Amino acid sequence: MEDFTCPRCKTSKFQNPSLKMMVNVCGHGLCESCVDLLFLKGSGSCPECRIPLRRNNFRIQLFEDANVEKEVDIRKRVLRDFNKKEEDFGSLAEYNDYLEEVETIIYNLANNIDIVNTNKKIEQYKRDNREQILKSKGKLGREEYELEEMLEFEKQQTELRKQEIIMEETETKKKKIREKEALIDELMFSTENAKNIVETFAQQAKEAKEEEAKAAPAKKTHFSSGIQIGRQSQSTFLPVPAEDGPLFVYKPFVMQTDGPKLPNDEDVIIKGYTNHVRSENEQERAGGFRSNIACMRALQDAFSGLYHVRKAPVH
Amino acid sequence: MKLNVGGLIVYFPYDYIYPEQYAYMCELKKALDAKGHCLLEMPSGTGKTTTLLSLVVAYMLENPHDVRKLIYCSRTVPEIEKVMEELKKLLLYYEKQDGEYPHLVGLVLSSRKNLCIHPEVSTEREGKIVDGKCHSLTASYIRERHNYDDTTPICQYYEGFSLDGKESTMPYGVYSIDDLKQYGRDRNWCPYFLSRFVINHANIVVYSYHYLLDPKIAEVVSKELTKESVVIFDEAHNIDNVCIDSMSVKVNKRIIDRATENINLLERTVAEMREDDHKKLQDEYQRLVEGLRDASVARETDVILSNPVLPDAILTEAVPGNIRNAEHFISFLKRFIEYLKTRLRVQHVVQESPAGFLKDIQTKVCIERKPLRFCAERLASLLRTLEISDLTDFSPVILITHLATLVATYTKGFTIIVEPFDDKTPTVSNPILHVSCLDSSIAIKPVFDRFQTVVITSGTLSPMDMYPKILNFHPVIMSSFTMTLARPCLLPMIVSKGNDQVAISSKYETREDNAVIRNYGQLLVEVAANVPDGIVCFFTSYLYLESVVASWYDQGVIDSLQRYKLLFIETQDSAETSFALMYYIKACESGRGAVLLSVARGKVSEGVDFDHHLGRAVLMFGIPYVYTQSRILKARLDYLRDQFQIKENDFLTFDAMRHAAQCVGRAIRGKTDYGIMIFADKRFSRSDKRSKLPKWIQEHLKDSLTNLSTEEAVQIAKRWLRQMAQPFTREDQLGVSLLTLEQLQSLEASKIQEQAQQN
Repeated sequence: MEDFTCPRCKTSKFQNPSLKMMVNVCGHGLCESCVDLLFLKGSGSCPECRIPLRRNNFRIQLFEDANVEKEVDIRKRVLRDFNKKEEDFGSLAEYNDYLEEVETIIYNLANNIDIVNTNKKIEQYKRDNREQILKSKGKLGREEYELEEMLEFEKQQTELRKQEIIMEETETKKKKIREKEALIDELMFSTENAKNIVETFAQQAKEAKEEEAKAAPAKKTHFSSGIQIGRQSQSTFLPVPAEDGPLFVYKPFVMQTDGPKLPNDEDVIIKGYTNHVRSENEQERAGGFRSNIACMRALQDAFSGLYHVRKAPVH
Repeated sequence: MKLNVGGLIVYFPYDYIYPEQYAYMCELKKALDAKGHCLLEMPSGTGKTTTLLSLVVAYMLENPHDVRKLIYCSRTVPEIEKVMEELKKLLLYYEKQDGEYPHLVGLVLSSRKNLCIHPEVSTEREGKIVDGKCHSLTASYIRERHNYDDTTPICQYYEGFSLDGKESTMPYGVYSIDDLKQYGRDRNWCPYFLSRFVINHANIVVYSYHYLLDPKIAEVVSKELTKESVVIFDEAHNIDNVCIDSMSVKVNKRIIDRATENINLLERTVAEMREDDHKKLQDEYQRLVEGLRDASVARETDVILSNPVLPDAILTEAVPGNIRNAEHFISFLKRFIEYLKTRLRVQHVVQESPAGFLKDIQTKVCIERKPLRFCAERLASLLRTLEISDLTDFSPVILITHLATLVATYTKGFTIIVEPFDDKTPTVSNPILHVSCLDSSIAIKPVFDRFQTVVITSGTLSPMDMYPKILNFHPVIMSSFTMTLARPCLLPMIVSKGNDQVAISSKYETREDNAVIRNYGQLLVEVAANVPDGIVCFFTSYLYLESVVASWYDQGVIDSLQRYKLLFIETQDSAETSFALMYYIKACESGRGAVLLSVARGKVSEGVDFDHHLGRAVLMFGIPYVYTQSRILKARLDYLRDQFQIKENDFLTFDAMRHAAQCVGRAIRGKTDYGIMIFADKRFSRSDKRSKLPKWIQEHLKDSLTNLSTEEAVQIAKRWLRQMAQPFTREDQLGVSLLTLEQLQSLEASKIQEQAQQN
């Protein structure tokens, strides 16, 4: 932003290093002091395009290119309403068409093409999709969600790493001190030749180092169980537990009814039992319920326990 | 001579062979049989190139279905030319022995700059300009325009080639750059396009690393090479850095400004075209709606090398709707560039992960990840459609789109670093945005996946276990060969203290110490007084070189040095350096010799050979660590530790030692050569540094040579030089380090292998 000058007072960044450029909806820039001066009353018109502007709509200009600034502003506004995500569409082609439509709207607004119609279009869309707009507000798309997750994961990772490094450092420091002390103790109290002792210690240190080099740390998973949390795990299911014992064998269940022999499924239909129950309606049939099943069930209920003899309680 | 290597008859175009060459062939053959990748280290000057070529050519002729093609990648044009020389010799030897020239076509592919024969274009010096001019004469729409407008200039050579070059096959033979040019002139064909066309069915292709590793170039040049190829990366000790460089993007203010100009031009052109030639844009639009499907078909049938910049995922999908329209895409680019501008407006260093960058860009300018991923492809399509013919350089905007695609494609293995100023000049604002690749395996993965055998070889690959880790591949063979010598022709020494017993080291704390600098100077003067001919010194950085030379002036070291030899200094300017080198060689050849002060990792340390009298002694002043404060390096170290469990110090030492070895290895370029290698730093004598030197240097670095003072080192050198100055004939070598066919046969193959192969 080095070569910036205010179009009104011609102050440049060079003359006033703390110069701040402001921009309003029309996309024309003004420096902060000019804004203060011109919009003393809270509203006024743009010195370049004479559009009436309000003071509290002025923002600090973020981008060098005023057109881009304006476009981004429009884009943010439009995208607030056009907030459908890829998941809301049946096919990729539809989504792409939608994206292009939104893009065209933004392009038209930013370049002053056919503004009236475009605004109409936006209003129309808002009316048609009011419910959906409210629903999707603040919802994240799949990709955004993935990004969030990644960031979260990175944060965790750096935290972990920091701790690990600190741990490692203190550990090695302690170890060094311990070894040194042991060596000095040995030299003080042992009767052996000092040279031998030093040599054995050096040897030990070397071995320890080699061992450390060999034991490379294992790669970390998210959980001790190896299950990953979040969306990426959706595509893969939990591992199927391996079956070790003998296979399951089906044995038909024999019911003790304590009653007369029940008619079987066919008898229920043929012998006319079903005439006494309500026939199933369409929905019920779709769900797999047939009237003979209900009839059967009623018969079972009725017959069971008819011959039941109460056993003498055991004292 | 004809050799029998594990049942394969190999024609070797010389009468004598080194034992290690034979062992090398044995190992290489095993890797070819196993169809796996391998990592081989053999000292420079032992004839790697000819060994590789003779074995692979023999294997190719014997098993034409298993190995169809040999792709030999080297670094520089002179090295490529050397390979072609050897290959010519080999094939002529075949003809002499069999009476028939082998049915092989071998050719070189180089840039347009080296291959162009157009009378005007070829006079240009700079590669980019040659490319641009060539493109302005050969692009399809230019030639189309020429059909109805004769005033549009075109290249007659390209026309000649496209007319009848594609139907004919080249006769068997080996074509170096000059041969190709001659062949092109004879037939009025463009050698560059001829070579690009022919490499798809030639048997032996020799070209630069970048044609295979740089995804942008590989996409155009190498994608149709057959799977049954043997790929050789020669001098590959820096291959990880090449991979990383090819995937990293650096953007500064200048590039952004030029990209903005590019976009404005694009915008104007699109507007014009919208009025004049509406249909073309409509066609493009239609194509984009349908997606990049043809590319995806090609990839599925496995005819091309996959491109890490153009991930598979985007080929199957259509371009997102919000950048389909040309105008929309341009406004998209504008937004992206404005965003980058805001990112460059920083006061302190910022480091970010790609995920953070993507989130930020979403909130600031509402750009989603998906269209970013398609950015590079979309721009390429637009440029094709617009057919801008004047010589505008679109590389800035192309670079920006590459950045976009990389950031959106890879969330792992990359980092984004914004630096507000250069480390050397912290007061001058010069913001740079790096999108830096941290994982060297990303760029090379397609190569390992696609080709059945990849050979990575160099004179200095130690420690070898590092390369499989950082490149993420599983070699079937990993071997280091030593040099069998008839006399101890290299003398490595570690000088750790000066005559006054002050330890010498380029350690940060002591490097500016006067005593250390004086001792370095004294060492150099003493060596210069006793060693004949050329002496090369390597410093750890240009900065250090400058400060040391300045101190030497004050201390009078330079004066006493010039009493013995002339002094030349390498600078960062490449033209100046080539002059210095030229006169250094002249001085070595005509006078008492010269001293060349140069820098490790500089131009001299890579690719310039100081054989025989050009380098009788090499001095390494300090350990050439990389600049460890660099953000990018730190990020890479972190990544290496997290992903590959490589400790920072291990990697830094590994990197420093391979450069040190590379520097001192410049002096020995063959078995009749001899040279002193002086490592002047106390830290070299530690076992963690010493053990990382290549085997062939370590072998000669006895314990008695590891902790010397200047005086002792000079005494040893004197004695050794007298010994080396005795006449040395081939008879001395025969049977020990040089074998005839009979000797080779009489010695058991296994025994030789044992002798030459260390692990």
